[in-house]
Amino acid sequence: MKMPPFELLMPTSLEQALELADGFVAAGEEFDWIAGGTDLIPNYKWHLNPKANVISLAKVAEMSELSSTHIGGMVRLHDLSESEITHPLLKDAAGSIASVMIRRSGTVGGNICLDTRCYWFNQSEDWRESIEWCHKCECGTDADCRVIANQNTLCVATYQADLAPALLCLNATIHLASSKGKREMLLSNFFELDGMTRNVLQPGELVTHITLPPESSELIGCYHKLTLRESWDFPEAGIAAAWKLNGKEISALKVASTGLESIPRVHDEEVAAVLPDWSGKESIEILSEALRKSIKPVNNTGLKPNYRRKMVKVLARRCLNQIMHK
Amino acid sequence: MTDEEEMVGYKQQPGKIPFSRPGSGGKDQFSALQDDEMIPEGQGGKLSQPWGKHRHDELVTSTSIGNRTPLIDGCYKVTGQAKYGDDIRLSNELIGKILRSPHHFARIKSIDTSAAEALDGVIAIATGADASNTFGVLPVTKDEHALAVSLVRHVGDLVAAVAAEDEATALQALQLIEVEYEILDSIHDMKDGLEDSENPIHDRGKYHIGEANIQKRVFQEFGEVEKMIDNAEASHHSNWIFGGVNHGFTEPHATVANWDPRGRLTVYTPQQVPHYLHRSLADVLEIPMHQINVYRTFVGGGFGGKSDPFPHEMCAAILARKSGRPVRITFDREEVFLTNRGRHPSHIEMNLHADSQGRLCGVETDALIDGGAFASFGHVTTYYNGVLHTAPYEIGAFHYTGARVWTNKPASGAMRGHGAVNSRCAFEVGLDDLSDKLQVDPMTFRLANLLPPLSATITGFRITSTGMRECLEKVRKASNWDDRFRKLPLGHGIGVGCGFFISGSGLPIHWDPNKFPHATVHLKIDMDGGVTIHTGAADIGQGSDTVVAQSVAEVLGLPLDMIRVRSQETDTAPVDLGSYSSRVTFMNANAAISASMKIRQELLDATADITGADPAKLVIGDRRIYDKRDPAVGVSYLEALHKAQEERGALVASGAYRTPPMGRAHKGAAAGLAPAYSFSAYVAEVKVDVETGQTSVINVWAAHDCGKALNPLAVEGQIIGSCHMGLGQVLSEEMVYGRTGHLLNGNLLDYKIPTVHEMPKVFPIIVESNDPEGPFGAKEAGEGPLLPILPAVCNAVYDAIGVRVDELPITPDRMHRNIEKLCRAQGISDSLELETPTLKLSPLQELLANRAEEHEKRDIARRNNDDIEPYHNGALFGFTATLPADEQSEDWKVSVIPSQEYIDNPRLAGSAWKHIERRHRGDDA
Repeated sequence: MKMPPFELLMPTSLEQALELADGFVAAGEEFDWIAGGTDLIPNYKWHLNPKANVISLAKVAEMSELSSTHIGGMVRLHDLSESEITHPLLKDAAGSIASVMIRRSGTVGGNICLDTRCYWFNQSEDWRESIEWCHKCECGTDADCRVIANQNTLCVATYQADLAPALLCLNATIHLASSKGKREMLLSNFFELDGMTRNVLQPGELVTHITLPPESSELIGCYHKLTLRESWDFPEAGIAAAWKLNGKEISALKVASTGLESIPRVHDEEVAAVLPDWSGKESIEILSEALRKSIKPVNNTGLKPNYRRKMVKVLARRCLNQIMHK
Repeated sequence: MTDEEEMVGYKQQPGKIPFSRPGSGGKDQFSALQDDEMIPEGQGGKLSQPWGKHRHDELVTSTSIGNRTPLIDGCYKVTGQAKYGDDIRLSNELIGKILRSPHHFARIKSIDTSAAEALDGVIAIATGADASNTFGVLPVTKDEHALAVSLVRHVGDLVAAVAAEDEATALQALQLIEVEYEILDSIHDMKDGLEDSENPIHDRGKYHIGEANIQKRVFQEFGEVEKMIDNAEASHHSNWIFGGVNHGFTEPHATVANWDPRGRLTVYTPQQVPHYLHRSLADVLEIPMHQINVYRTFVGGGFGGKSDPFPHEMCAAILARKSGRPVRITFDREEVFLTNRGRHPSHIEMNLHADSQGRLCGVETDALIDGGAFASFGHVTTYYNGVLHTAPYEIGAFHYTGARVWTNKPASGAMRGHGAVNSRCAFEVGLDDLSDKLQVDPMTFRLANLLPPLSATITGFRITSTGMRECLEKVRKASNWDDRFRKLPLGHGIGVGCGFFISGSGLPIHWDPNKFPHATVHLKIDMDGGVTIHTGAADIGQGSDTVVAQSVAEVLGLPLDMIRVRSQETDTAPVDLGSYSSRVTFMNANAAISASMKIRQELLDATADITGADPAKLVIGDRRIYDKRDPAVGVSYLEALHKAQEERGALVASGAYRTPPMGRAHKGAAAGLAPAYSFSAYVAEVKVDVETGQTSVINVWAAHDCGKALNPLAVEGQIIGSCHMGLGQVLSEEMVYGRTGHLLNGNLLDYKIPTVHEMPKVFPIIVESNDPEGPFGAKEAGEGPLLPILPAVCNAVYDAIGVRVDELPITPDRMHRNIEKLCRAQGISDSLELETPTLKLSPLQELLANRAEEHEKRDIARRNNDDIEPYHNGALFGFTATLPADEQSEDWKVSVIPSQEYIDNPRLAGSAWKHIERRHRGDDA
């Protein structure tokens, strides 16, 4: 498989990177950021929305800072999972991503911004041509979505990154930057429900780092995911949960999901319904069932959606049971 | 048409032949059994041969055979110096790319290549018009073209090929080729292939079966078919669905073609069957075979997926001819999946019947297999799905209907365990169910129904050696079976499965075995003393170069570094049929031994000349030839060699192997016929997560009877590798086609080959049954070990959670559905409360245990006795063992034509017989 040619730019500072990006935006030219490249390069090889220009962040040193509350966008997943100061929940999630090889290259920022995936999209150009393209990579044909027929307003490709639910449970804040300035927001506000836009990033903007509130260290968390194989595979469902335990008092319970819909989601509503009368095992059962009901996967990955949905309940139950006994 | 008219069969031997002790090997002077005296005492005295003597015993020098030997080409691979298909770089090369069909089924109305030709850097373009001759691996079903002529038959079918200065230009040129298609109705469900169609995918002319897409159909009925249901004490019924799987070899197809200045063509390609490619190239290019050299590069895994002559190999040659420059074509992974030739997706109905004495009184199999768009090996696969589960058990009746249909998908073909894997899985799971219903231990059930050594199966296969009993007993002990079976907690279980596979196909594909041998090996030894072996056997990583080198080294008493193997070029290698049907070790090593014996005799004669010793008393040790009664009398190997070379220079010898006459005479009798068969028994231990349906295999005890492990290291590698490959088919691998008929997972991320994490601990156990026909007693070990892992895992799943699997792979979503169904049946809502199967032994258990004990004695007596009586399948059911049962009873059927009664009410694949072949229809359409 041959990649289409592109120009690779290697800025050495964040400022320079944003300037370069600004140049492309001003000129109306499309470009991609590349961090570890473990998502972008395969997509380019498949000719999935390749751009003529690519800005590499590999030499932007200031994005690699790692502390217990600050995680640079360019921190390698492997470093995150191996570091002593990483929150145990993040360690778990990061250590479960793909394989060692990919974790050594892939980055935190890249994982959060992972492109959504779909059986009708992650295919070669010839293949997509023979199904007459799809909404997410239409190649100028105005093609419909191939998963949910006769519509081209929403892309339902699945978000299959592992870090997001863990970070969501820890109340992470995401920090963005562009030549126009910096902004920050709760990670839960970063994602936008559409498999194509995916998040709030504007052209020329990137994820510089993530911060965790200091009290996140008091949270006990757990991440479970569904994959066919222990290594390599993207999660077909993933549930993270975290809470604070004061004696027998439970507070700050968060549950988040990934691998099921176009974006990762925090399930505050379902939690709020059971938390006031928390009774351990029974509540876990009620909450797990509520989560199952609230999540609606579509048929675009390896395992069937009704099964993935049922597994939400099992994964949630396992997560909650596990943190209950931690 | 009557039965008699169909009884044309195996032209080698019209009529029946008496059962004879094998190992005769024809008129070969070296084949007579030798006495123990002949085994050189200097090499360890009398050989310990618990399984009896072997005709090669006198050749044993204890230098090489049986040693754990790293493959002799391994160092090239680990140092990166091995040249695989894509590593061949000839100067001035062009890059070839293939334009593939975007449609499932369409007629090509026009192809306009003018814009592509005008592109700078494009040197040659080929289309179907450049090579209209058909080819195919089997002479009876040549249905492929280098490039589509008129019809494209699946998405990915080859339409045009471009050779350009570089890859980017070639890809750009493909975009510029304008093809106009007329789209035809495509077929994706194999069941639709059984029906008449307006546009059948192929037209077989007068041999076409109705107007349907049936490529091949088989009907076979043996034994007391009428009585089996009445006699049944317990019956098993199942309907299986098997997904199609791909070989998943590491190296994608890659080929380089070059015409030299003398006008000869060399094709460099990782091929399992260079000779068949050689023939096909000659057919397609319309040049004589002597103008072609097929150069087999290192093969980065084949597993049957590189055992067809391929269209892209023809394309490279055509483009090279047109451009006058070397052309290299390398596939990406998606193209590998679009070429496929993997295991057939199948619907298999399996019905088994056991009588009151725990005998297998009936086997009814119906197999519908999805061939995809081309025939490939499918003719054979259709037979193998039936005939390869007629052993190792003695059966009272066998009823098989099989059909292979064309669909608009990439072609299925041969894959490790060719044709035997799916039906074997269904069969062995059926045995487990039968023993459950009879309330007996499945191990004992199997042990009490085995065919003895030197026997004939119900369809007339000649079983020489069998170590089936030992395999079962060894895994029973190693797995601690008796303490664990049906006694483990919910979600944890063990299961057993067996296998039976051919060790070489009895019939060469392209010729009568009476005219040409299957394998030929040439040896050359010059003054340096090193031995050059010329053989056409394709080393595909299985170690065939090593085993032929070991065989020669053993006979001549030389270290392996004095042996060099030249096996890559058809220019220098004698014809060999190639690496398929697990024939290479058996046939090629036999040919090598035969050639070595000629050299050995010359060396012994020369030594006798020098020393005056009695040649009959001379033996060969490590690079020395001496009198076994007085080892001081002797000469070095080189002295003897130079003496032998005095008058004539380099010693050369040629040895060959052909199969002995075998088998019955009905139509299709040759399918599945082999000079020897391998046997295996596995016990798998699994854990099933009853909440998620995820299955993991923890331990596998894998016993395989390979006759004699010439290289135990390689045999163990084959066993472990087979486990991995079979595990993929059970747990996760499947070519998934979406609702539009497109392959959804043509890449190695979505096509789920188990990783190291999924791999269980495999305990390989080698059983050596010392096959009388095999080289030093050896049989195959490359394919047979794959068969038992599937049913062993399925049976272990039943032991763990009580789910009878009938669809592979058992992905967690499928398994979860089964668990939910079982919960409903047991009236519970929580799967953690499932009741698992229990074992309450019935009185039959004792009867079977006693019978197994008696049979064990019978088997040991048979294998150690020279004057044994014939044993035909049927003896267990009261027939005289020495005669085929059909000669003793009118009720014992031998039929290959279905009755009208059957056709009126057929099974699924059997419904293929509702159609009348065009030539019999009267209209001669």
